[in-house]
Amino acid sequence: MNDKLRRPQLLEWHKAHGDVVPFAGWEMPLRYTDIREEHLAVRNAVGIFDTSHMYRFFIRGPQAAQFLQTVTTNNVNKLKVNGGHYTTCLNEQGGIRDDLTLYRIAEREYIWITNASNGPKITQHLLKEAANFEVEVEDKTSEITMVAVQGPKALSLLCKLAGTDVSEFPRFSCNLIKLAGHDCYMCRTGYTGEAGAEILLLNTPLNDEGTSKAVAFWEELLNQGAEYGVKPCGLGSRDSTRLEAGFVLYGHELKEDITPIEARIRYAVKFKVEPHYIGYDVLKKQKEEGVEKTRIGLVMIDRGVPRQHYNVLFNSNKIGYISSGGISPILKKGIGLAFVTPGMVNEGDTVEIDIKGRLRKARVSGWPFFDPERYGEKRTK
Amino acid sequence: MTKGTAVIEGLYYSKAHEWAKVEGDIVMVGITDYAQNSLHEITFVEISDVGTSLKADEECGLVESMKASSDLFTPLAGEIVEVNEALEDAPELVNEDPYGKGWMWKIKPSNLEGDLKALLDAKGYSEYTASL
Repeated sequence: MNDKLRRPQLLEWHKAHGDVVPFAGWEMPLRYTDIREEHLAVRNAVGIFDTSHMYRFFIRGPQAAQFLQTVTTNNVNKLKVNGGHYTTCLNEQGGIRDDLTLYRIAEREYIWITNASNGPKITQHLLKEAANFEVEVEDKTSEITMVAVQGPKALSLLCKLAGTDVSEFPRFSCNLIKLAGHDCYMCRTGYTGEAGAEILLLNTPLNDEGTSKAVAFWEELLNQGAEYGVKPCGLGSRDSTRLEAGFVLYGHELKEDITPIEARIRYAVKFKVEPHYIGYDVLKKQKEEGVEKTRIGLVMIDRGVPRQHYNVLFNSNKIGYISSGGISPILKKGIGLAFVTPGMVNEGDTVEIDIKGRLRKARVSGWPFFDPERYGEKRTK
Repeated sequence: MTKGTAVIEGLYYSKAHEWAKVEGDIVMVGITDYAQNSLHEITFVEISDVGTSLKADEECGLVESMKASSDLFTPLAGEIVEVNEALEDAPELVNEDPYGKGWMWKIKPSNLEGDLKALLDAKGYSEYTASL
């Protein structure tokens, strides 16, 4: 473990306004005021997150696409310039090294955005595998500040900053634009279940000039967003919003011994690809023969809050364990994700969760856990 | 006063950040201002049933915040005679009023004198939290 923590450009701002904690090798804000208030700002208005701890690799060269197809599971050849997709990077056993978003920003250039906790591991992996291809892998994590703008008012705020209508860019697109005068890539993605974007603020290295540009941009988001009820949001609400949306998190639903099929992120996996990626054969076999564990969602019927590692029981038999749990500020109930033996339970079934020796009832549920007509990107009300 | 440092004279305190208030032959227990401030948004409180007999320092419930789950330990041995039912619907009372409306359970102590000796007074607890 490296004891020297990495610092985002916005660190001093975070320290002045919130609680900063060590996270995955970085000093990052946990909360500014109240995790629930920040969570509800994302669901009802707009929240902004510093996500600069995510690793950002620029991968370019004549064999970039071919190289990327050997290390990721989605179909790289289907990516058009300015397009992106969610994908995974596997080990030889089909287990997940990491999940990531991949954007194509030029004919032969891609951006790979990956988890902070896996950054060093993925750096090693990419450099090793890239040696066989005409491709260059550049780590630009320290050169670029990354900010997520999320919520039903996120696109209104971004249109205001852009001075043009940026709301028509499709989901997962990645476009080089100017926001409040700053050059950035606007990626129409996020990790909250809400509409919005992840912004790569270019030319903001970790020095005085880069820091002041990053802070100016962050404060511009807050100032221009005031009319929409914007709030700065920390890692606490980042986790609670992703869980409520039913999204997977590395170290919880995604691990080196869990495949994307088991984690039920099937949309990140394609089989009609050339060349075959590392782990392809294992996934192909699972697709044909089935899996030994699968992810489900749970909503508490009884009082109580599921947490990682708690056992899940059905008819008094252990069928699996909780991978993530917490309380949903929208439902005001405990919610969780779990891995269970396939075929044991269906949506609507009642299971029991062993909460520190107390058995508490929960209902098997799909995700998102919130009502998608009232909350989230596809809301209609 | 700095947030999360309030202590009340006359109460007894544990290093697990519970307070105990002697009221005749019953002792009321809750968590301290320091504890609620460290936990932040408390979303759920569960305490063992009335009638449960406990040893001192035994686990007897849990508190959930937005971020984590924390066990509760009784600072005194005895039998739980009442739990604060209001916390079922309003766990935030623990944040708002940790020494008042946010009390958690009442215990009929079985070793009052002995158990109290192991606890800190207000001054001792303030010094202890200042050292953390």
